[in-house]
Amino acid sequence: MATLLEVKDLKTEFRTQDGVVHAVNGVSFTVDEGETLGLVGESGCGKSVSVLSVMRLIPHPPGKITNGQVLFQGRDLLQVDDEEIRSVRGNKIAMVFQDPMTSLNPVLTIGTQIGEALELHLGMTKEQARKRSVELLKMVGIPEAEGRLDDYPHQFSGGMRQRVMIAMALSCSPQLLIADEPTTALDVTIQAQIVDIVKRLKTELGMAIIWITHDLGVIAGLADRINVMYAGFVIETAPVKEIFGNPLHPYTLGLLTSIPRLDAAMKSKLTPIEGLPPDLIEMPKGCPFYNRCTFRTDQCANENPALELGAVRHSVACWNWQDVLKKRAAYLSGRA
Amino acid sequence: MSQAMSALEPPLGWASRERSSQEQLARRIVSNLPALLGAAVIVWMVILAIFAPIIATYPYDQTNLNAVEQPPSLAHWFGTDALGRDMFSRVVWGARSAVFVIVMVTVIDLGLGLQLGAAAGYLGGWVDTLVMRVADILFAFPGLLFVFFIAATIKPGLLAWARTHGLDDLARSGYLDYAVVIIALGVIGWAGLARLVRAQVLTVKEREFVISARATGVPTWRIILRHVLPNSIAPVIVALSMGMGDIALSEGYLSFLGIGLQPPAPSWGNILADNAGQYWRTFPQMIWLVLIPGLVLASVVFAFNFLGDGLNEALNPEISP
Amino acid sequence: MATSSDGALVQVVGLKKYFPITQGIVFQRKIADVKAVDGLDFSIQRGETLGLVGESGCGKSTTGRTVLQLYSPTAGQVVFQGKDLTKLHGEDLRKMRRNMQMIFQDPYASLNPRMTVGDIIGEPLEVHNIAKGKEKKERVQELLSIVGLNPYFVNRYPHEFSGGQRQRIGVARALAVNPAFIVCDEPISALDVSIQAQIINLLEELQEKFHLTYLFIAHDLSVVRHISDRIAVMYLGKIVELTDRNALYANPLHPYTKALLSAVPIPDPIIEEKRERIILVGDVPSPVNPPSGCRFHTRCPLAIDICKRVDPEFRDVGNNHWVACHVV
Ligand SMILES: Nc1ncnc2c1ncn2[C@@H]1O[C@H](COP(=O)(O)OP(=O)(O)OP(=O)(O)O)[C@@H](O)[C@H]1O
Ligand SMILES: Nc1ncnc2c1ncn2[C@@H]1O[C@H](COP(=O)(O)OP(=O)(O)OP(=O)(O)O)[C@@H](O)[C@H]1O
Ligand code: SF4
Ligand SMILES: [Mg+2]
Ligand SMILES: [Mg+2]
Repeated sequence: MATLLEVKDLKTEFRTQDGVVHAVNGVSFTVDEGETLGLVGESGCGKSVSVLSVMRLIPHPPGKITNGQVLFQGRDLLQVDDEEIRSVRGNKIAMVFQDPMTSLNPVLTIGTQIGEALELHLGMTKEQARKRSVELLKMVGIPEAEGRLDDYPHQFSGGMRQRVMIAMALSCSPQLLIADEPTTALDVTIQAQIVDIVKRLKTELGMAIIWITHDLGVIAGLADRINVMYAGFVIETAPVKEIFGNPLHPYTLGLLTSIPRLDAAMKSKLTPIEGLPPDLIEMPKGCPFYNRCTFRTDQCANENPALELGAVRHSVACWNWQDVLKKRAAYLSGRA
Repeated sequence: MSQAMSALEPPLGWASRERSSQEQLARRIVSNLPALLGAAVIVWMVILAIFAPIIATYPYDQTNLNAVEQPPSLAHWFGTDALGRDMFSRVVWGARSAVFVIVMVTVIDLGLGLQLGAAAGYLGGWVDTLVMRVADILFAFPGLLFVFFIAATIKPGLLAWARTHGLDDLARSGYLDYAVVIIALGVIGWAGLARLVRAQVLTVKEREFVISARATGVPTWRIILRHVLPNSIAPVIVALSMGMGDIALSEGYLSFLGIGLQPPAPSWGNILADNAGQYWRTFPQMIWLVLIPGLVLASVVFAFNFLGDGLNEALNPEISP
Repeated sequence: MATSSDGALVQVVGLKKYFPITQGIVFQRKIADVKAVDGLDFSIQRGETLGLVGESGCGKSTTGRTVLQLYSPTAGQVVFQGKDLTKLHGEDLRKMRRNMQMIFQDPYASLNPRMTVGDIIGEPLEVHNIAKGKEKKERVQELLSIVGLNPYFVNRYPHEFSGGQRQRIGVARALAVNPAFIVCDEPISALDVSIQAQIINLLEELQEKFHLTYLFIAHDLSVVRHISDRIAVMYLGKIVELTDRNALYANPLHPYTKALLSAVPIPDPIIEEKRERIILVGDVPSPVNPPSGCRFHTRCPLAIDICKRVDPEFRDVGNNHWVACHVV
């Protein structure tokens, strides 16, 4: 499949009073046309900053993209002028955020807000935009869509607002949809509704998706490929079944064994990852996972491993991934 | 457990870099020039007030009919008035009056406003209704008018009380004037503070750590003192700072209108009143006699407001850019 | 009465909590009620963990807080250690709090930012006259190491800690008075995945060590399943199903429980591919005007006519498996 987006060695930092926050430290990944990429990792690991950098939406100051390329359909978005990037945003690449309330304008009706993008990017008339808005709202499963165009955001529930956000994002038929934790604030039953809709739209519209989450469960049923991020690095990337079936990085393994699973036999004890992620201001010089890793060796303290191929289409950034591979079974059963 | 413990140390640099809130506060104030200027003016006023007897070059009430209406000179930096009193010394002593009134009124406002506001907000029910209705009534009147009214009503009463108790000296000394001003300003000042404290307490009391304190079994008075008030205090400090400017100004008004401190007791308000009354006809001659005390009073009022603004920004990091 | 009560440490009967909605400023009139908790019956055995799950706004926190009398109940009884808490007031209730404590969801909001860790953990010791001065300090340090923190942290402030560490401080505070019963209100929801297991394990260890009884509130069914002995599922202010955790997962009876279980994502792409989901339509209705009859009938895939009219009884269908549904 053709590559839609290619990010090469992206680095983004924030200059704050306390020092330079190294939020994204040389991230590379690609998204193919129609592919769904999951971006997984815990709070502060740089998921949002990565995709905001792609969209050039990093607040400057304090933020700055210090290195890298973002090739979208062959063009480097970091080099194009402001007008061009605006024509890409919301049009070819659309974004949905975690909190649907803060990303909707409370004093404008839903109809006005969806219509705006249609009129702006696609040059539709008011009536055309209205008609299309109704179609879009129906597409995301909002009942009685015509009647709800003139409602204000506060008249919708959280789940409905998130659907409106998705409808708005889809309004210009983007080639890439970036969803930054779109279901984190929602209940499981509502999350299931949204995931269901996105799955359907993905096949119907054939767009590529970057789905950010810290919930491995949500992404398992949705993504084609997964990037696991830690402290501003992508530490493992593989097709979704590889990540869950053949995790090679100690952190990924830790994530999988530290959460209770609804379907698994009852375990007497969970295996937590002890300790905390490193401070992004004083980054360790070795592997960022070193202080929490049960597979570490002396080399890890001094040298930061780069991503290397561990299996087909499966890369991992760990000096000892072969050791992980050997001991994984014992690790899983011994702790279970 | 011991293994887990060592792993739970914060990563190096985590805690050490997190500055204490006091330090951050200080840093934010220092970076705000008007607030810094305001603080400097206020510090000066306090120094003048404390060391007035040393700094003043003459007694504030010493008249000298050989040297009336002198322009500013080396001997009389701010000139002299119609009775030959040294204006510089009067202004310096005026700082003492101002600081005294500001401190006393603030103490009353704090005492009443903080406690009544906190009780109303935390306890709710009839306590809340009672306190807030009284505050509403105080608010319904135009502030200064009400102060004049109170000052005018209690002054004769106080004087009569002093005389009937054989305190003629006290009645004549002018100290009772201070009491009148302080009581009048204090009586209306607390209401605004109480409202603010109550609103603050209402939000803080829903915060989880207050509920946590209740769940733990912490007694109510202790919850108010240790959990609610310390976390409600920031806007109160801002309001107090701005309020002090208002008190300085109100004292000026009162004394200017003759209800407050009476000459020869030195007050910026009555100095202004005296001189303006004497010289408005001959304007612009002797202009410094009005200009200097006016500027001093204005700069103090501005100083408190600048400081309040600065504190407001420093205590609410969200609103500063 | 739901569930047998012998040996029960906590017995809740017909518990209701309505929050009035008022209008007007000077003359406040009540115009409606938020029926946050609307008639709950359950008991918790000594040493047991009862899980309470449900969607946002269904009344879980309100239940926890009303059980502890942090909200005064609109109706019902809470019998704890043989005493009806709803009859206790003032100083009697305050003294009783020594035996029942709470752990909160938000590790950032639940610690007073202006108190040191030592004061935060030491306060319960002081207000219940358990320890003072040097003795108090020693006990605080002991508590810190029990929850896996460095005892030297006593003089630090909450902002110097990460979320997981703060949650440990909250746990230490709740433990300080040696309570019998702790309400844990979503104690891990605000934490990162990699930290959640640390706190779950800690709570389990402490339960064993100090024979604690938990009411464990959560919206994450996998976590509740892991930690609870029995589980109550709440919907819009009522318990719809209550049973042993294995029975609940192996044999859920209430259509809402089924939907809830099927909505939980499983971190396994192969299972997810094959899984059939019950996708509920619509949103949770407002607790101000809950639907007539069975509250779930507006979203229920199995609803029949009677569901609209009659509120189903919460009954034991055998093996202490309690459920409120006409179709079961
Ligand atoms: N405006 C900013 N100023 C300073 N630091 C920032 C800013 N925005 C982000 N950061 C830092 O960059 C790092 C990465 O943040 P990012 O928002 O990408 O995390 P995330 O992976 O999206 O986490 P979450 O799951 O919490 O959304 C964090 O450590 C954060 O503190
Ligand atoms: N103090 C209060 N005053 C008025 N209404 C309240 C109050 N506390 C809760 N409610 C309402 O009661 C209902 C139940 O709230 P509760 O906080 O118990 O839900 P919850 O199940 O804990 O939800 P969550 O998972 O979001 O924490 C909600 O509709 C809420 O809006
Ligand atoms: S490189 Fe070393 S420290 Fe890093 S994850 Fe691999 S084994 Fe652990
Ligand atoms: Mg983010
Ligand atoms: Mg809750």
